[in-house]
Amino acid sequence: MARAAARVATLIALLSLVGGCASRTLDVSYPQTEVKKALLASVAPRRVVVAPVTDRRGDKDRIGATPEDKKPIMTARPVAEIVREAVVLEIEKNGHQVVPGPGDVVLATDVEEFWLDAVGRSKNTQYVGRVAIAVSVADGATGERLWSRRYVGIRRQNAEADSKATWREVMDTALARTIRDLATDPDLALTVARTPR
Amino acid sequence: MAVVLSACASSPPTPAPRARPSGAALTDVRRVVVVTTGESRFTVMQEAKEPGRGFDEVMKWLPAKDLLVPIARAVYSGLSWLIESDRAAGTVPRDVVPGTVVADAFARALQVSGPFNQIVSVDREPVGDDRRLADAIVRLTVPSWGLMRVREGDADAVAGFADVRAQMVVRETGVIVWEHEEDVTQPGRLSLDAYKRDRGLTRQELVDVLERAGRRLATELLYAQDGRR
Repeated sequence: MARAAARVATLIALLSLVGGCASRTLDVSYPQTEVKKALLASVAPRRVVVAPVTDRRGDKDRIGATPEDKKPIMTARPVAEIVREAVVLEIEKNGHQVVPGPGDVVLATDVEEFWLDAVGRSKNTQYVGRVAIAVSVADGATGERLWSRRYVGIRRQNAEADSKATWREVMDTALARTIRDLATDPDLALTVARTPR
Repeated sequence: MAVVLSACASSPPTPAPRARPSGAALTDVRRVVVVTTGESRFTVMQEAKEPGRGFDEVMKWLPAKDLLVPIARAVYSGLSWLIESDRAAGTVPRDVVPGTVVADAFARALQVSGPFNQIVSVDREPVGDDRRLADAIVRLTVPSWGLMRVREGDADAVAGFADVRAQMVVRETGVIVWEHEEDVTQPGRLSLDAYKRDRGLTRQELVDVLERAGRRLATELLYAQDGRR
């Protein structure tokens, strides 16, 4: 009886692993080695509270579907965690200190889109990755909202159907473009510069 | 079990990025001239040009397949090209010069946030004092632009696109201190019919994506400077 139960348990474990492979999991991330100083570095150092990122996507369970069989494509880590890590890397690289609180500035980020589309079924499938975030800055002392803006990063790339390396590259680049637009935004730098230290 | 686990391994690492000129090389650049070069091809791409499975199904019943299938594929590609050319010709806004729109947006973005004392956009390679006074020349190219299908499932959800290239050359030495190429896509999506019906809307979408391309290039140039001002 016990042996039969063990066999059933093993079978269930194997089936769940195979089921897991039905999806495609990508290690999307912001390329840490490529992070550079940008306009935020021109602002005197601030203590920045990077609030937990809110995932406002309609479908939080996947970031797309495989072109061939429509199986879900997912990220290895939660999308909110990936985006927050990218924001933290940029803030720190630009000479500011990320603190749990209280700080001079509070930076809040919402993820509005994080999606990979595939167009066509041929060897020349076009992948379109889109990352859209809404960022707001609040005064760390008063909580007053000072400024907000949306950023959208898009990457197009043609590749073979089911090219997993391309899926990841497309999403990495879409994220990088979004974050670079943020890091070089003169209005963001100006807003942070106006907050008291 | 090992095979199953191996198959579940996460995606391979991203390939190493191409080496780029360092921000240090841009430090002494203060006066910049932006000029557009090269041809721009306008396209409206809605469907993949390659024949689909239906084509293959028909082809397998043909006699003398070795001879006829390549001919049929060539005819298919030719017809697709003609249809695309016709579609593009009916959509292109004649008054929009893509390189100029990108160059102006690029220069404006750098005037606001860039480290340069002077940045001017011109429509041809500078000569005389304009050339002598420039520290560097940025040459912009828009090899292709137009409307492109960007979402599967929606029969014809398209967006404006522009493929752009930029190269900054130090005038005195001819050294390339920065270069970048980028696929730029407009975030909005509409049906191709909506664009066909409203030429004003089409023009706006295309100008918007070209301006977005100019701003994206400016962002990448600023980022390449690595905080040097």
